[in-house]
Amino acid sequence: MKVTGRKFSPGLDRFSGLYLWGLFFVLFSFMAPRTFPTMNTVHLLASTEAIAAIVALALLVPMVTGQFDLSIGAIANFSGILAVIVQTNGLLDPVGAILLGTAVGTVIGMLNGFIVVKLKIDSFIATLAMGSILEAFLVIVTNNREPLPVDNEFFTGLTQTNIFGFQAVFFYMIVIALIVWWLLERTPAGRYMRATGFDREAARLSGVQVDKWSFLSLTISGTICGFAGVLFVSLTGPSLGFGPSLLLPAFAAVFLGSTQLVPGRHNVWGTVLAIFVLATGVQGLQLVSGAQWVASMFNGVALIAAVGLAVVRRKKLSRPKKEKSKGKNQGGGSLSASTQTHGTQGSSSAHHAGQVSEKRVEV
Amino acid sequence: MTAPTAVMAPAISIAHVSKTFGPRTVLHPLELNLVPGEIHALLGQNGSGKSTLIKVLGGYHAPDPGRGEVLIAGKPLDFGSTKSAHELGLRIVHQDLGLVSESTVLDNLAIGAGFPTRFGTIRRSQARREAAQALAAVGLDISPAKRVAELSAAQRTGVAVARALSRHGGKVTVLILDEPTATLPAREVAHLHEMVKTAASQGVAILYVTHHLDEVFRLADRVSVLRDGHIVLTRDVVDAPREDIIHALVGGAVEPVRREITDVPSENSRPVLTVSGLQGDALEGVDFEVRPGEIVGIYGLTGSGRESLLGTIFGAREREGGDVRVDGAQLAGRPASAINKGVAYLAPDRKRGGGLMEMTACENLTLPAMKKFFRGGHLRIRAELTESSQWMDRLAVRPTGAVKAPLASFSGGNQQKILIGKWMRISPRVMLLDEPTQGVDVGAKAQLHRYIMDASDAGAAVVISSTDAEEIATVCDRVLIIRSGVITEQLTGSDISVAELDRRVLRSNESKVETS
Ligand SMILES: Nc1ncnc2c1ncn2[C@@H]1O[C@H](COP(=O)(O)OP(=O)(O)OP(=O)(O)O)[C@@H](O)[C@H]1O
Ligand SMILES: [Mg+2]
Repeated sequence: MKVTGRKFSPGLDRFSGLYLWGLFFVLFSFMAPRTFPTMNTVHLLASTEAIAAIVALALLVPMVTGQFDLSIGAIANFSGILAVIVQTNGLLDPVGAILLGTAVGTVIGMLNGFIVVKLKIDSFIATLAMGSILEAFLVIVTNNREPLPVDNEFFTGLTQTNIFGFQAVFFYMIVIALIVWWLLERTPAGRYMRATGFDREAARLSGVQVDKWSFLSLTISGTICGFAGVLFVSLTGPSLGFGPSLLLPAFAAVFLGSTQLVPGRHNVWGTVLAIFVLATGVQGLQLVSGAQWVASMFNGVALIAAVGLAVVRRKKLSRPKKEKSKGKNQGGGSLSASTQTHGTQGSSSAHHAGQVSEKRVEV
Repeated sequence: MTAPTAVMAPAISIAHVSKTFGPRTVLHPLELNLVPGEIHALLGQNGSGKSTLIKVLGGYHAPDPGRGEVLIAGKPLDFGSTKSAHELGLRIVHQDLGLVSESTVLDNLAIGAGFPTRFGTIRRSQARREAAQALAAVGLDISPAKRVAELSAAQRTGVAVARALSRHGGKVTVLILDEPTATLPAREVAHLHEMVKTAASQGVAILYVTHHLDEVFRLADRVSVLRDGHIVLTRDVVDAPREDIIHALVGGAVEPVRREITDVPSENSRPVLTVSGLQGDALEGVDFEVRPGEIVGIYGLTGSGRESLLGTIFGAREREGGDVRVDGAQLAGRPASAINKGVAYLAPDRKRGGGLMEMTACENLTLPAMKKFFRGGHLRIRAELTESSQWMDRLAVRPTGAVKAPLASFSGGNQQKILIGKWMRISPRVMLLDEPTQGVDVGAKAQLHRYIMDASDAGAAVVISSTDAEEIATVCDRVLIIRSGVITEQLTGSDISVAELDRRVLRSNESKVETS
């Protein structure tokens, strides 16, 4: 793609996450020079946050389509525990368990989609309720007892295999991020989903099948969450209540992410960036203060700040327009179009604007 | 400061106000004065800065820092504060009206002024009474309990005007209307003019933005023309011949567009679009056919079914009965399937269903047909941008080259051009155009008409529903008059003229009154 003026603006807003991240590193390196600035911290953050990031990416898809999914944590939790139980009971081998967990997530996602699209129940309510239902199912299948961990090297190796010092799960996150990015930014499907999310009626009148895409986005979210749940139990073993702790950071990241890199849009790299910035903040504060409540406090504050920023951003969207430097090449216009613009200064002032932003690129 | 020696102190006086967005100066320092009771028309091409000026006055945009000053009845306006503008008696009806479509008329009327309260509790009955008064003052006969979404465009404009004029927030000194008549049919335009004149006779200064030159001569005392952010002409209307105004507007003459009779397609070709017994919102069984290369106009009063006809054919609105065929194949009544059969539908309201305001111009242009850019498992974004900017050049969208700017940042008329381009791009078999040139300036309008004719020359069947009789008269081969949900008359050839159209519509209305 051509370099545009927009890309090279100082971007205090667009890149604020990166600056904040840098600030965290410097700050905590000062405050905890022994423990914080180590490769250990990097590896730890990379693997513990990988799953949070995957769940956030799952949430991103329905959010782009304008649907909430509050059941993401519960889906991951349920699918993960199910994948453990079928193995410890000798019902399925690890591969089968992984597929089962993912499939269960998919089915729940489809169910969410059905409830939202066909029964026309608001996604906020539908997925909130689904989360509660899944919690009940979790108790039913486990009898409220923590299942035994899976004793199988293949299954634990799935996420824990060491690659260049990073655990494998980190690379799954990267791959999933790439796939979601491709889906949202490089396929017509992604464009249709975005249109649906921005203005359902306008999208429908442009021929977008808004119901189909709403359904699919919730399904995709379910699939990714199901898989994320399996990864979680493979990485840290089965714990009964890990789901809820994934929900809040995911929302914070998706909202914060929408103020980053491509402001005004929910986007993949903004979301991933946000997850790691938030996690770095939490990690650093924990190392410095040793307090247990840091994560909850930090994530809660971050969510409010993120949504606040996103709202401000939305308001501003209609205000500042970044002129494209390309304008220069097209200033001439086509022959038939020139009757109106000739003799007016409009095209030349746009010209000028184009050159100004072009200059900024060169600086 | 010495007192001005003018006979009458200006109701509003604008001096040195300028506005820059990023690197682009949209308004150059400009001066404009209105005396009380004056009706001042403000003209300008799309993107010339009219709405921006108004938004600065209303406190939505802060002007560039500097010597800029606005006095309202002698009191300085506090820039960037909507409250200050309101308190000084400045009332604005914005281009997009600023109504909350999901709320009722009553709630919308109370938005500016606040509900009357007693001990902090809303007094519904009083609010309802005041709403009824405000509506009556502008001659609108609608229930305050109706949701704005259910109103026609004309009624919505009326509500916005009623809200602006209601005495709630104190005395009104200046009323600004930004393209209030973009989608109003002739009769309702006359009605609006009455309201405006009444307000002016009570000493309110009125700044009236429009693209219709006729309105200037019928309504205004003075006229100003804005071109690229400069005021290039301010005169008394009596001293401003039409040619001068057009010249100031576009910096040249506008070539008139006229549909030649020879363009009319032969009678015996098979129809592309066949509508039979169509029922739906205000439609009681509409039948008509359109042949390839034909341009058919739909004209009728508000409430006659004119507003809902095209949307119902396309599937934007629910069809309750009847049958629509394109090249003999039935339409299912869903937009996606209609588009697949080559039907394009330009929605009447670009803010509600027409365009995706947060998405870029490029994304809007390509949305209905973007599969061709998906090759090798990958969207060819560069090809998409190139094609979009070609379309934007073809339609002379300004600012040029802003393919990646969100639709919301374009001026109203330029948004309309982009949305027309979006449908022309799919080379449709049938084009259903609802108010195709609303808010488009004279020059661009002629050009869009030319494009519509090009599309029809290329074999598309075009149906235009418009409140603008002149538009219908210029481009249509055949006009169908719609009344009470059915087509009652058909005009062809030399019968089609503005006067004749309005005569037929009014006559059919009278006969309706007689029979009832
Ligand atoms: N928020 C914004 N950010 C950047 N540019 C803007 C913004 N709003 C308007 N502009 C630009 O300012 C110029 C003037 O726009 P404005 O809406 O004032 O035009 P207008 O005279 O009202 O046109 P129309 O007749 O089409 O409504 C346009 O080129 C538009 O693209
Ligand atoms: Mg405007």
